[in-house]
Amino acid sequence: MSLIQCQGLSKLYGSKKALNDVNFSLEAGAPIALVGPNGAGKTTLFSLLCGYMSPSAGTITLLGEAPNSPKLLGKIAALPQDAVLDPNLTIVSQLSFFARLQGMGVEQARQEAIRVLTLVDLADVAEQKPPSLSHGMSKRVSIAQTLIGSPELVLLDEPTAGLDPANAKKVRELVKALSPTTTFMISSHNLDELEKLCDQVLYLDKGQLSQAVSMHASTDSDYLTLTMQTCDSEVLQAEVAKLAGVVNVSSKQSKVFIIQLATDAEKAQNSDIEMRLFTLFNQHQWQYKMLLKGRTLEETLFS
Amino acid sequence: MTNNPPSSFNNMLIIAMFELRKFLFNTRGIIALVAFGLVWGVLLLYPIQSASAMLLQPNVKDVIDSLFGANTLNVLFEWPVAEMAVFWCFALYLFPLFSILIAADQFSSDKTRGTLRFLTLRTSRDSLLFGRFLGQILIQGLLILLTIIATVALALSRDSQLFLPALTSGALVGLNLIIVILPYTAVMTLLSLYARTARQAMVFATILWTVISIAIMVLGSQSNVLAQLQWILPGAQLSDMLNTNGLNSLVYAPIPLIQTAAALLLGRMYMQRSSL
Repeated sequence: MSLIQCQGLSKLYGSKKALNDVNFSLEAGAPIALVGPNGAGKTTLFSLLCGYMSPSAGTITLLGEAPNSPKLLGKIAALPQDAVLDPNLTIVSQLSFFARLQGMGVEQARQEAIRVLTLVDLADVAEQKPPSLSHGMSKRVSIAQTLIGSPELVLLDEPTAGLDPANAKKVRELVKALSPTTTFMISSHNLDELEKLCDQVLYLDKGQLSQAVSMHASTDSDYLTLTMQTCDSEVLQAEVAKLAGVVNVSSKQSKVFIIQLATDAEKAQNSDIEMRLFTLFNQHQWQYKMLLKGRTLEETLFS
Repeated sequence: MTNNPPSSFNNMLIIAMFELRKFLFNTRGIIALVAFGLVWGVLLLYPIQSASAMLLQPNVKDVIDSLFGANTLNVLFEWPVAEMAVFWCFALYLFPLFSILIAADQFSSDKTRGTLRFLTLRTSRDSLLFGRFLGQILIQGLLILLTIIATVALALSRDSQLFLPALTSGALVGLNLIIVILPYTAVMTLLSLYARTARQAMVFATILWTVISIAIMVLGSQSNVLAQLQWILPGAQLSDMLNTNGLNSLVYAPIPLIQTAAALLLGRMYMQRSSL
């Protein structure tokens, strides 16, 4: 059974098509990234998956059920963009209330609220009210509420937007740590972040699903991404292109080179390509910064 | 963690109790409760106490009969506890007003700031709608209970023999008042789903009652059949209920109960279809 399945999904706001005939099927497992420019339809897709609104056309199934099905209650959680908790009630009372709605007893619900707040390092603000928190802390509390009852699927809309780098890293580590039991679907503009976390990537553009790629697909082993510290870019491109097994060398950013390697039958020639590159750097006294197998998400999506 | 989500009914009760707790243990709720207590304290100590004393004067009935007609307020003099009779006159009109004020923010603020989105993945929209409605009834039920207890205490301070009649009378008044406020609360449930703020919901309520009252008045002047449309508006039966007593007041109960069912049905339809 697919985790999420969308068929012919469209959503109209008046005459504007926010989503246009989107089709995809996703399995449970590693985190899934949802990428796209502003206004691409990411939040609309999340809202449809959560059942906050109905599609204009098409069908959605989550764990084999339609959104809003009673069978999904407590199995799916979400961090909706811009949604905030009630400013008049303490954080722990609201999170305990959510846990109670998910079937926990009074004491168990309170313990669960403290547990999820501890996961985001905010157990000490449990008795405070939301207005006393900073934007970043509010975001982390909102992330904490998604973890109540360990749901099967968690949808996070821009989870690290507005967080400082240290807390953004903590959220990434949390997602990574919980990934074996919970599938996360994350929308973000931070491609580096998604690259570190996710395997499957959905790219939405103008309401259409333009790409669905796997970060670990076999085709990515046919690329190397090289970032240099010091080098003569033109000479490096020419010299690397001459190496056996290299099909093409391109550079769209200063000192970042994408090396395309020969595929399948000629793969044997690529086995020591890294060694030959290091030898070349040594000969020319070039300093490298990073050598990455495959391409960055940015390169994969926009090349 | 394996937890079976409670049934919609259980969640409805959890939500209703949370609403009550929210009101009682929240600064805004406590301020509202204090303001309510002050208003009713003043009403009980002055108009109700002095009017009750007047009702006990034998010649006052003649004055009232001559002012309003023989069968307009005559039943008030048949109440076993005078304080409860005067309380009834005030409460019948004041509690619906309180209802509009208190129940105006059942959904509007939560919907505007997106808080409802945290809830709909955990509970059905039905349990949310009916739970919050029930929560408002519990809050208002508590307020009604407090004022009735105060009225009983006022009556007992005059004559301690009145304990049993005051209690019986108070129970019937409480039941009638809860039935009276049901459609007001249900209409506010519906309006607060549509409004963006509590204030906007109250403005909608004012417009609704004014426009429908005028429309019914105009239509009623055209034909007697159209005049019956008055029964669609919550509170249409209040003036008739004023001159009733005890169990007889319950004769009017079907009207608010049907109005409540209709408003909640509309609210449910809106809730099911609306985007959050």
